[in-house]
Amino acid sequence: MKKKNSPALGRVGLLFALPAVLYMMIFVVYPMFQNFILSFKNVDVYTFANPAKQEAVGFANYIELFTGKDGILGKAIINTLIFTVVSIFFQFFIGFGLALLFSKKFRGSAFFRGVTMISWLLPVTVAGLLFKFMFASKGGIVNQLFMSLHLIDQPLEWLLEPGLAMTAIVVANIWIGIPFNMMLLITGLTTIPEEIYESSRLDGASKIQTLFQITIPMIKPAIMSVLTLGFVYTFKVFDLVWVMTKGGPINATELVSTYAYQLSFEQFQFSKGAAAANILFLILFAVGIFYIKLINDEEEVM
Amino acid sequence: MKKKLISVLLGAVMAASLLTGCGGGKDTQKSDGGSEGGKKEVVIWDYFETDAQKKMIEDMITDFNSKQDEFEASHVYVPFSDYEKQLTLGMASGELPDLVILDGCGMASFIEMDLFGDVSDAKINWDEYIPGPMESTMADGKHYGIPFATNCTALFYNKDMFDAAGLAYPDENTTWDQFREMAKTLTKDGVTGFGNAATGTDEGTFQCLQWLYTAGGDYLNVKDGIDAYTLMQEMVAEGSWSKDSVNWTQSDGNNNFMAGNLAMQQNGPWQIPGITKDAPELNYGVTVLPKRDENAEQATSILGGENMGVVKKDDMSGAIAFMEYYDQTEVMVKAMKEYGSFPPKTEAAQDPYWLDDPIYSMFVKQLDTSIPRGPSASWPEYSNVIQKGFQEAMTSAKTPDKVAEDTQEAVDAVTDSIK
Amino acid sequence: MKKKGSNIKLFIIGLIVFIIFIFPLYWMLVTALKTQVEIFQIPTPLWPKDLTFDAFAAQLSVSGKTLQGFKNSLIIACGSTIIATVLAIPAAYGLARFRFSGRKVLILYFLMTQMLPSTLLLTSLYIMFSKAGLLNTYWAPILADATLGIPFSIIILRTYFLSIPKELDEAARIDGCSSVTSFTKVIFPIAKPGVIVAAVFSFVYAWGDLIYGITFITDPNMRPITSSIYDYVQQYQTLWNSTMAFGIVAIFPVVLIFIFMQKYIVSGLTNGAVKA
Repeated sequence: MKKKNSPALGRVGLLFALPAVLYMMIFVVYPMFQNFILSFKNVDVYTFANPAKQEAVGFANYIELFTGKDGILGKAIINTLIFTVVSIFFQFFIGFGLALLFSKKFRGSAFFRGVTMISWLLPVTVAGLLFKFMFASKGGIVNQLFMSLHLIDQPLEWLLEPGLAMTAIVVANIWIGIPFNMMLLITGLTTIPEEIYESSRLDGASKIQTLFQITIPMIKPAIMSVLTLGFVYTFKVFDLVWVMTKGGPINATELVSTYAYQLSFEQFQFSKGAAAANILFLILFAVGIFYIKLINDEEEVM
Repeated sequence: MKKKLISVLLGAVMAASLLTGCGGGKDTQKSDGGSEGGKKEVVIWDYFETDAQKKMIEDMITDFNSKQDEFEASHVYVPFSDYEKQLTLGMASGELPDLVILDGCGMASFIEMDLFGDVSDAKINWDEYIPGPMESTMADGKHYGIPFATNCTALFYNKDMFDAAGLAYPDENTTWDQFREMAKTLTKDGVTGFGNAATGTDEGTFQCLQWLYTAGGDYLNVKDGIDAYTLMQEMVAEGSWSKDSVNWTQSDGNNNFMAGNLAMQQNGPWQIPGITKDAPELNYGVTVLPKRDENAEQATSILGGENMGVVKKDDMSGAIAFMEYYDQTEVMVKAMKEYGSFPPKTEAAQDPYWLDDPIYSMFVKQLDTSIPRGPSASWPEYSNVIQKGFQEAMTSAKTPDKVAEDTQEAVDAVTDSIK
Repeated sequence: MKKKGSNIKLFIIGLIVFIIFIFPLYWMLVTALKTQVEIFQIPTPLWPKDLTFDAFAAQLSVSGKTLQGFKNSLIIACGSTIIATVLAIPAAYGLARFRFSGRKVLILYFLMTQMLPSTLLLTSLYIMFSKAGLLNTYWAPILADATLGIPFSIIILRTYFLSIPKELDEAARIDGCSSVTSFTKVIFPIAKPGVIVAAVFSFVYAWGDLIYGITFITDPNMRPITSSIYDYVQQYQTLWNSTMAFGIVAIFPVVLIFIFMQKYIVSGLTNGAVKA
């Protein structure tokens, strides 16, 4: 396809985007910038009220978060990565399957699809409480069901064993996230003209072939954005984990977001909290760059 | 430049929302410190959430307003879980009330952050207060407010379960060994002998720390309290101390006690109205926490409750007036009866309302040997590392020796960082 | 038209997925209908023995408050949806259809703006709104909630615009339309399902927001419905049944909106809008 946009026309595109750019500049980038500055200072409970004692400390906060005695940032990053990757994996595949299913027309499909969305509409705090309650080792319905199905003999201590606690918050997060994936992929699927499917059927393509040769390439942009957005949204999940485990037991489910919150608003170590938040940001920024790189390829497809 | 941008944007947004008839803010900004009919405003922040607590503060404010003409008090509810965050934001922006009612153990941090003003000159009967709570409102010998309410945790026990097992009820002479035997005997048929709140927050520290103190340690000398870790670990291993405690908040523990899953629990007096309402037929008693051994003093408990702090402002007269109003014993007693906690004045706590009640009187007794957390501006950090130790002991992640050693090291690191 | 057998298979698969998915919701409802004590019994009954509507009654007894909360949430969510959608549509279109230097940087920019949890941006926003005198007005949460919807809508709509064949607006331009009219007359109508999805998501984000609503507004009469959760999740206890009942009541309006909007989305699906 020929690229025939003149530079002048290109600038029109910039104008289209400008209002949104400015809006986000004021309400998000500026606070982020403040956060960035804060992370290189030493603002904590002892210097908060006394600007004279606040000084630039370079990377000291960052270094301490990684190497300090009770610095658990490294662990939090690993936890966050595990949490994110496992969540995304299941969310995406289940969501994609459901999207394919629900984009077909069968009796009740609209109803099923609608109900599936509820888990995503629920306030996260409520969803978190619901799962905390379901996973309780005593009297929790999950154990009760597993035991009555003879999958386990002993109640599992879901929120108490480090590995199981991670499983529990991941399951809860998947439950919340599937509809998000499903809905966006369905929206992508609507853009595929029915004729393309028909002609592929006429060509005698199997369902699997149609999926890999037509459906997936056609909605690749949608898949890319779902995965990227999913990564960004999962990586910064806060409320759900805060409600379910508060990062425990013994930091087993401590994520970068919960750690940053704890530092800033529970321990009043404002600068360290800001530094932890910036680490979160930097990792996501790298993912963002990766997404942009992928868009390069997409241009050739489009 | 930036201001202009904001106003342009706001203008556009406003126009857009007017067009669609949606949105449109009520611009009812409260004027700050403005006077209403010549009276000076006194704004109080609190996190009182139950109907009884709300009624208590509203009654008190109405009474205060009717008894003098200089000030007009009002209160704003801020949810407990967001409370300290909201205070921090308020300090950063200057949007602050005149008087803050807050969790006692958080006060030291906010004094350090210069939220509160020195009110040592106020006409308050400073000596009449129980020393522990009073200490938490002070720093460097200066007063920044007064204790508002005080409480502590004690031992709840299910009488029916003790009767069924043929056991005598625990009392003030019960030792750790006896307590452990009781818990072991009572653990059967899906019932666990004992449980408390050991969640990984300060709420957990609040309940667990007393075991360390009773064992002979304190928050700076963790190693001296190593027996507490041993007791917890062994009882959890035996199944007589619920392993779920590690994730329980105080209400989780109480819910399980009410449902009959726990024979004994550690909890506070604020649970009593809930038990009366939700499990009226529950036959239970309360006594002081078990002591270390026969020769030991009564077990230590950790003080909870709220303080009243006067926000540092040029004119603190309104807040001080309200504090002086609350300093009157009869005001305090009336409020605390509605609130479900105990008055922080020694004399006020001797009211028959509490002393004649078999359950409340036990809490008054337990208050005698209760100590505050910290006080330290770095309490949240101490609390964090100390609670991690309790969790490690309960989940058998480490041996008691190792827990004591590591926790001591972490505590020392916090102390060092204060310089 | 279609084979009956595959329809039934789809129906069964759908049913199984539905059951697994619905279970937590079912459990939520059952919990809302139990008494606080029955909730903690072991084994816990799968259907309340002691059926009680108290938890729902509690929502209704404070119906004045619940209604006010709905109204506040509606104002806040509508306001921020309008801002988000009005700003995002042109931006997404610009980024999808025009090639200019810095285009990718802008995409990255929008992606970047949603990388920190709201809690960590709170302090600066609070100070900003305090200076602008916007605290305790609906504006503060509206403006803040829009920041959740804008980048999301842009990213989603951009890919949606990309999926619409370029020939369409090129044809429009050949017919003499300017960029703006080709956008409003040709692309926008086709993109309607995408726009609706983006708007609904913005709305849901704003509706579900708790932290901005509760931090920027201290007047209880202006707080959004989500803030009512603190009536049930208290300092010393969580009223499980009421919390669950609250969850059901709080999302009711959003579910209705969703069901209503689904028709548009489905119509986009069946019309094969792109056939044009």
